Amino acid sequence: MKRLLLSTVAFAALGAGTAMACEPDYTGVTLNVSTQNGPAIASALAAAAVGWEERTCGTVNVIEFPFGELYPKFLTAMSQQTGDFDVIGFVPAWLPDFSTFLSSMPAELQEGSNWDDIHPVYRERLMTWNGEVKSATMDGDMHMLNLRADLLEDPDEMAAFEAAYGYPLAAPVTWAQYYDQAEFFHRPDDGLFGTAEAYRRGGQQFWYFFSHAASYTNNPSNPGSMFFDPETMDAQINNPGWLRALEEYKRGLDFNPPGALNNGSGDVRPLYAGGTVAMNIDWADSGVLGSTEGSIEGHVRTAMLPGSTEIWNHVSGEWDTFDEVVHSPFLAFGGWQLAVPADSENPEAAWDFVAEVISPEVSGQAIVTANSGVNPYRFSHYDNLENWSSVFSEEEAASYLGAQRASLDAPNVALDLRLPGFFSYTEILEIELSKALAGQVTPQEALDAIAEGWDALTDEFGRDTQLAAYRASVGLPPM
Amino acid sequence: MHGDAVRHDRVKYAFIWPAFIIVLVITIFPLIYALTVSFQSVRLVPPLPPRFVGFDNYVDILSSQRFWGSTWTTATIVFASVAFQYALGFLLALALHHNVRGSSLYRVVFLLPMFIAPVCVALIARMVFHPYLGPVNDAMVGLGFGNLPFLTEPALAIMVLISIETWQWTPFVTLLMLAGLQSMPSEVFEAARVDDIGPWRRFWDLTFPMLLPLSVAVIFIRLIEGFKVIDTVFVLTGGGPGTATETLTLFAYNEGFKKFNLGMTSALSFVFLIVVIVFGTIYLAAARRLMKRYA
Amino acid sequence: MENRSLRTIGLVGCLVWLFFSFFPLYWVFVTAFKPPLAVSQGATYIPFIDFQPTLQAFRDAFSGIRGDFFGPIVASISISVVATALSVFLGAMAAYSLVRFEFRIRLMSGLMFGVISIGGFVLLNGTFDIDVPYALLIVLVLALVVSIWMNKFALPGPVLGNNDVTFWFVSQRMFPPIVSAFALFLLYAEVGRAGFPLLDSYLGMVLAYTAFGLPFSVWLMRDFFSTVPVEVEEAAQVDNIGRMRIFIQIVLPMSLPGLLATSMIVLAFIWNEFLFALLLTSGDWQTLPILLAGQQSSRGDEWWAISVAALIAIIPMVVIAAILGRMMRSGLLSGSIK
Repeated sequence: MKRLLLSTVAFAALGAGTAMACEPDYTGVTLNVSTQNGPAIASALAAAAVGWEERTCGTVNVIEFPFGELYPKFLTAMSQQTGDFDVIGFVPAWLPDFSTFLSSMPAELQEGSNWDDIHPVYRERLMTWNGEVKSATMDGDMHMLNLRADLLEDPDEMAAFEAAYGYPLAAPVTWAQYYDQAEFFHRPDDGLFGTAEAYRRGGQQFWYFFSHAASYTNNPSNPGSMFFDPETMDAQINNPGWLRALEEYKRGLDFNPPGALNNGSGDVRPLYAGGTVAMNIDWADSGVLGSTEGSIEGHVRTAMLPGSTEIWNHVSGEWDTFDEVVHSPFLAFGGWQLAVPADSENPEAAWDFVAEVISPEVSGQAIVTANSGVNPYRFSHYDNLENWSSVFSEEEAASYLGAQRASLDAPNVALDLRLPGFFSYTEILEIELSKALAGQVTPQEALDAIAEGWDALTDEFGRDTQLAAYRASVGLPPM
Repeated sequence: MHGDAVRHDRVKYAFIWPAFIIVLVITIFPLIYALTVSFQSVRLVPPLPPRFVGFDNYVDILSSQRFWGSTWTTATIVFASVAFQYALGFLLALALHHNVRGSSLYRVVFLLPMFIAPVCVALIARMVFHPYLGPVNDAMVGLGFGNLPFLTEPALAIMVLISIETWQWTPFVTLLMLAGLQSMPSEVFEAARVDDIGPWRRFWDLTFPMLLPLSVAVIFIRLIEGFKVIDTVFVLTGGGPGTATETLTLFAYNEGFKKFNLGMTSALSFVFLIVVIVFGTIYLAAARRLMKRYA
Repeated sequence: MENRSLRTIGLVGCLVWLFFSFFPLYWVFVTAFKPPLAVSQGATYIPFIDFQPTLQAFRDAFSGIRGDFFGPIVASISISVVATALSVFLGAMAAYSLVRFEFRIRLMSGLMFGVISIGGFVLLNGTFDIDVPYALLIVLVLALVVSIWMNKFALPGPVLGNNDVTFWFVSQRMFPPIVSAFALFLLYAEVGRAGFPLLDSYLGMVLAYTAFGLPFSVWLMRDFFSTVPVEVEEAAQVDNIGRMRIFIQIVLPMSLPGLLATSMIVLAFIWNEFLFALLLTSGDWQTLPILLAGQQSSRGDEWWAISVAALIAIIPMVVIAAILGRMMRSGLLSGSIK
């Protein structure tokens, strides 16, 4: 409300002397734009709204809901066609469930330099469903490995590490190296712990698990076989690749600070930024937090997720070995999307607003604004290093952007799970996962239970439809 | 007692109909909807058309281990915490009633926890019980324990949940019992004092029986409300590890609002309702017999 | 004497409970002033000694970064106060009638009501495709008329009395809120489509919340009214004073402690209600609990921000608790019985 008042007053003051042309003219149009509670994403939308209101003489009302309640709120409103929301900011994993209720992106927005500027992985994979462009990426998300230069580049540490492990201290390239370093820096008596990952049920922990698993299951010879068999839709989650990932993920608990089992994704960030851990796995937020509000300013380094020289091949039933380390960076979460529900009363104005938010200028500003929650996703975001000087030092920016760009460009990039009935699948996963982590069942038992649950769900939802949906989500042609 | 004229006084309808109508209008549709949906398989996502499945949903629920597990968890938390709430609440009410030193301060502070939103209490508890950064942990370290996995070890987590429920809802009991104590006619107590009956006997023979109807009502409400505990569990443990701390309402919430499996959730709600009604009837019948014995 | 030792025990007990009760609140208060490092590096207790307090969290909150605070505060206060007042007054009326009068409802006519309403609705809505609000209205009126008419006859089966009517009221609280929240949302959406917007409206929220508070009011006030001696009323009746006047001018004042206690309880429940508020409101009437839930952001439990939000939500309640708590001072109200 206050924001609305302030922006209207500002606009009126500005427009007092000059003749304001509203382009296009949306006077009297009020857009209800909704997403999770700020500041992440909501503040980016509010900032874009100021410019949009000035340009078009319309008004924007930003409505926020708790993240945990976003899905039911949007789904109930759209399924009942209440017309409550004109633009929604939501999680791409929900697109299969939402797509029938969303309108398609107008053709004009799907061409031109702005369109081409969006990185193809985000553009082709996340914004479409069933052959239609239903949403617009406003944020890029993937899991990164966040490191600290004050530890990695310290001569004493480097000498000690090489003496103990036999190879130079540098950004870990394989998971084995990752655990070596975690072990090396795990010094509870000094208040320093090896690493921080999320383990809590309901704390987005399964994305961390997926990040581990991608390296062992995303086989380049069998595209799209990470979660399900792309021919039969049988769950792949209990194959030896996943088992190895789970065992390592669980092993990480030894190098986490105490209470790690209850850490959600939100907890690992301050641990890294506050200097309590030597590194962490997280979205790009950790890096930004570390250099703006943390005690490790200037020492933030980002790297691609570790990879592996061995990947499971489900067709041959054996491990494939590679000479070089194969990185399978995992696009965890995918990146917040904007869409216009079909029951909106102002679809034109709504899509115009969406175009404003994702435009290179506005988004370029958002990615370097603290707390905006927007991470890079356009080529122009990665190329413009100076833009970042307010947040990062030059080395930090280079490493941060370089790692993200490399992840997106990696040939074996792994995409997140996207299926109708997403929550049903992930609920089983979360429950069994937390049991395995707590030691109540063995990893293999947990994975088998998940596989069984997933297969039952697939049958209930219709194996053929799920198979078609899965193949589309991983970029395979229909059977 | 009342004469016939009073019994059939038409004005009684004027008194009760407003309340009756409002409750009816708001609750009748959810009841009808839930009942009809519980016999169908209704899922919002993926958008499958609803189909009639008879009692399948009910059978699924009753044979699901998760349902019985969550019922057991909920029952443990509720019964234990209500017992504490009643005992502590009554004692505190007595102390306030007899104007213990500092009563006016207590009166305000004691009531506060009840007024705080459950989600708020849960967030505060998460801070306070943090196994590394929280004050309770500091206290434990001082006592020699240190870094107890409060929220990730099932037994400890349930104890934490019970203490939080007790913390928040004892004021409820205190408030009502205090009002009850203050509504008691004072002549009886003056007479007892004259007769030099000791405080212990005064309590058991006079106070407790007179407040028995109120106690029954208060405990009943606490039990019913307690069964619906969800916010604290959701924030503190997410129901984990596994489903060890998952309560009934959390189970229903995940089924209904995350998976939008409305048929199953409706069936679950009815099973829950029937259980509580059966339990409530038994409880009230037993309470009535107890009251007759004392009265 | 025994009284003194009991008093000491009482005092000690109260002090212990005071600490236990108050400590989390103190913690919240203090944490709201902590800079981030004072939280992420271990527990700190006393401002100025353990850490340097800062107002940054408050500034963030009021600048609107973490969500609009003023809107929900106004919404919560206006909805809760009115819904509580309505609910307590109407509930007290109903409770009074349940204590002083006798209701006789035959089980058969109750069942008939159920059959007509449920069956009728399924028929009208499912088979004949009549819109939900109209179908509901028709069915309700029909079922009520028929069952009341049937009640006059001597039907077989047990007769339900006052206790059962009260139980019916309370049983409305026994239903888990998940499906009823969704169903009510559906109903409001349908009524809105029929031209009478209830979603995200003041009327819709007050109506729903009054219906929530009524079971409490009826159940609790029934017990408080039963302690009010009936002689005073009978004396007034001899003087031919109307029942309603007796109720308002005599009975209510005599049961003031109970009335206040019930009001506080109903207010607390309505103030803190989350699920229905989430579904039934959108941008205009969002209430405080929704805002609070949103503070558990994915950016990390920023405890200082959460504490500020919690404080803002608690303070109106503290004020009310203080006012009403002082009114419950022993002796002040019980004297009104005389």
